[in-house]
Amino acid sequence: MGSLLLLTRIGGRPAAFRAEDIGSIVELTEIAPVPRAPDFVAGLTGLRSRALTVIDSRKALALPGTPDPPDVRAPVVEVGGHAYALLVDRVDDVVAAEGEPTPPPATLGPAWARVACGMIETAAGPAVLIDVAALVAGPHRAAA
Amino acid sequence: MDDLLADFVAETREMLQAIEGEIVAWEADPADRERLDAIFRFVHTVKGNCGFFDFPRLERLSHAAESALSEVRAGRRRASSTLVTAVLAVIDRITDMIEAIDAGEELPEGGDDMLIDALEPGRDEPDSEMIQAGEQTSPRAARTGNTRSIRLPVELLDRVMSGVSDMVLARNELARRLRDHGADPALQAPFERLSTILDEVREGATRMRMQRLEHLFGALPRMVRDLSAELGKQVMIDLEGGDVELDREMIESVRDPLTHILRNAVDHGVEPPAERLAAGKREIGIIAVSARRTGNRITIAVSDDGRGIALDKLAKKAVAAGVASAADVAAMTGEQKLDLIFAPGLSTADTVSQVSGRGVGMDVVRANVEKFGGSVSVSSKEGRGTIVFLHLPLTLSIVEGLTVKVGPHTLGLPRSYIVEIARSVSRSVEVDRLGDGIFLTFRGERVPCLDLAEVLGLEEKVDLDRATFVFLRLVSGDLFALAVDRVLDNEDFVLKPLSPALEAIGLYGGTALLDDGKPILKIDVPRLADAYGLASHTRIRTTIQERSAEASAPVEHAVVFTSFAGRRRAIRMAPIRHIHTLPVSAIEPTEAGMLATVDGAILPLLGTEGGTFTNETITALRLGDGEVELLYAVAGIVDSVELPGPVVPLEGEDTLEGTALIDGAIVGVIDAHGLFARYGRTAMPAQRPTCRLPGSDPWVASFLEPLIRSAGYDVLGDSDGCAADITVTLDTAEEPGGAAAAVVRLRSRPEGAEHDPESIYRYDREGLLSALARVRTGAR
Repeated sequence: MGSLLLLTRIGGRPAAFRAEDIGSIVELTEIAPVPRAPDFVAGLTGLRSRALTVIDSRKALALPGTPDPPDVRAPVVEVGGHAYALLVDRVDDVVAAEGEPTPPPATLGPAWARVACGMIETAAGPAVLIDVAALVAGPHRAAA
Repeated sequence: MDDLLADFVAETREMLQAIEGEIVAWEADPADRERLDAIFRFVHTVKGNCGFFDFPRLERLSHAAESALSEVRAGRRRASSTLVTAVLAVIDRITDMIEAIDAGEELPEGGDDMLIDALEPGRDEPDSEMIQAGEQTSPRAARTGNTRSIRLPVELLDRVMSGVSDMVLARNELARRLRDHGADPALQAPFERLSTILDEVREGATRMRMQRLEHLFGALPRMVRDLSAELGKQVMIDLEGGDVELDREMIESVRDPLTHILRNAVDHGVEPPAERLAAGKREIGIIAVSARRTGNRITIAVSDDGRGIALDKLAKKAVAAGVASAADVAAMTGEQKLDLIFAPGLSTADTVSQVSGRGVGMDVVRANVEKFGGSVSVSSKEGRGTIVFLHLPLTLSIVEGLTVKVGPHTLGLPRSYIVEIARSVSRSVEVDRLGDGIFLTFRGERVPCLDLAEVLGLEEKVDLDRATFVFLRLVSGDLFALAVDRVLDNEDFVLKPLSPALEAIGLYGGTALLDDGKPILKIDVPRLADAYGLASHTRIRTTIQERSAEASAPVEHAVVFTSFAGRRRAIRMAPIRHIHTLPVSAIEPTEAGMLATVDGAILPLLGTEGGTFTNETITALRLGDGEVELLYAVAGIVDSVELPGPVVPLEGEDTLEGTALIDGAIVGVIDAHGLFARYGRTAMPAQRPTCRLPGSDPWVASFLEPLIRSAGYDVLGDSDGCAADITVTLDTAEEPGGAAAAVVRLRSRPEGAEHDPESIYRYDREGLLSALARVRTGAR
């Protein structure tokens, strides 16, 4: 009860992040693309004295298309000592979780199942609770 | 309580490190009262502390050692080698116990009594003999007390560091806005003060991470003592430069390589006593470890006076190990043979000893040192000894580099690999396409070249006709070039590790933020070279070309200085008239810039950007072109040097003529022409004379035209109909059409003066300028 979630949309679907996973929300002004990077890495952006790796969440889920218009606000997460900014369709709101997460149903599909640590009920409806470490690892790690 | 315990462990460890050297020194000279006191203080402190924590065994051990040592201090007992060994054993046991306490394990069982017994005056030792009064050395001057210190978690330091970095970025941003909006002087002064303070804070924060090399050196005497005892050798170690400071992470990284080199020196370098005597040397071998700092690098040299490296033996081994062919080896110079020591799987030792073993060779040492941006080199004289040099960057995280542009991307190249930069249009580089590869011929050497755009998988390749080539020398000695669109600037990269997804690309070695907060990626040069098979695994250069072109180039001198903005810059000697020390009161800021009075003349003062007048006086170079004079402020003069090689033009920096490689550092060369062109204008004649240039040649457009313009001419093209005051031709002896008051003929090659004695080599700047000056004075 009461644990906070950041509610976003990825590929048009509701996706929730644990508030404690989110360091901050930044406005992405400029993303420097990285040549030869896997396509789910949109590039690098500077946040104060740090360089953030910008992850395109849709591509990390192997979803087609780009959000229109894209949200310039991006949640910042830290995984393994590295900071990432997550490109999502849009950042909706911070909401309280209603109840504990339940195991992800089998019908999520393999891409979503890989990054989901469960389903969570919120006041704004159910959402997939995202495992940020799995998300920033990208679709290629799925095979490993 | 846990905090107290952690402090106790940390403090004891620190003392242990510091004490090790003392013990060995004490053993060498048991009468050394000062060492004895230091060791006594240590066991005394440990005894006091562990009583407080209730570690009875630790207390008993330290108490026993303390009693034995106090007997010696009181002169009732002599410090025999048995006693020293026993004290060492006790200290070793204390070390083990401390480790166990730290790990939260049970203390290692038993054996304490034996150690304590060993401290008792022995039966077969004349330990209890009274020490004669005369044996005592005069007490040395007491050491100065320790400076006050506190313990801080490294994490906190890192946080402060990154906070300071953020502030610097914010400052730069603010500075840019102030500039763009036309700074209000009321803001400018406090801003500059803030800026200076911030620079000081940044320096302080950087130094917080620094540790003296003593921390590393402390353990070495003990190691050498134990090793030489084990090998039946006598070795003395001489440490110098313990006060040199190094990033603490770097100290940890260098520990293993240094230990390995020392082991090698004791094991393979220094001969057994009998062999040394037979060779006419002192029985005791000397290993000297010295550290010194030059600029942003630290060099640690480990030298021994042992048998040295037998080159022929080494070469034979290399052949036997299949590292090189007999023909390769026959063609090698001594230096190249010596370098074989870094080939994998080679050892010069005839026997594999327990100490150095066979597993880790110098190749591993080199690889480890290179991993953190350092390098290793060896010099040796057979029969006389060997010196191994470790060259280390000051910190792990700051790398000097060059930013380059390829397509829309800006990338960083670490400076340590860059040997030269050449532009395609300079014609000093010939480009050949062979197969799919690009090859450059530069100074008589054929160099493989990678198109960086192709490496990065960009659609648009680098236009090789207008490219800039950055020549990189790998530590293995292999040379290759990267073709880029443009070279932008020198920068200090504060490197941050890459996220795994980017690391996996295998091209980049870190990211850094530029001054404006934009992130760039640093190219991982060794990995890039490896991926394209450009690095040979041993350092065998097939051809060593004579560099005759270099020898015949005229030598130019330059003054190297630190600019107000803290950058290292050079300026050619020719325009420097005088070096002044000016009181700040003689400087007057005006709308049009700084003015300063010197010797009754009012001159423009340049070079003050990015700095503040913190002292009462400043140093300024007085520059003159024979007509106009101006002052250029410097923060400090470094040296006067010969300008080595050509000055390579740099784009995007209009105050610099280009860069030159001076003492291994890329130094920006101030464009004196540009300075006079911009600030000396008032004294220029109102009507600028005109000069006709051949229009078709790209060299003319990019090199000659700016020079001519800055010399005060308006430039006319071939097709302009009007009369020019002067006409410049390139590589033609014919008289050009059109009326001209004078003709200056240039030739592309330095030689050829005999065909046309009046022609001027096109890089003979002085000749060209004086020809122009002659025409100009004649025209007036």
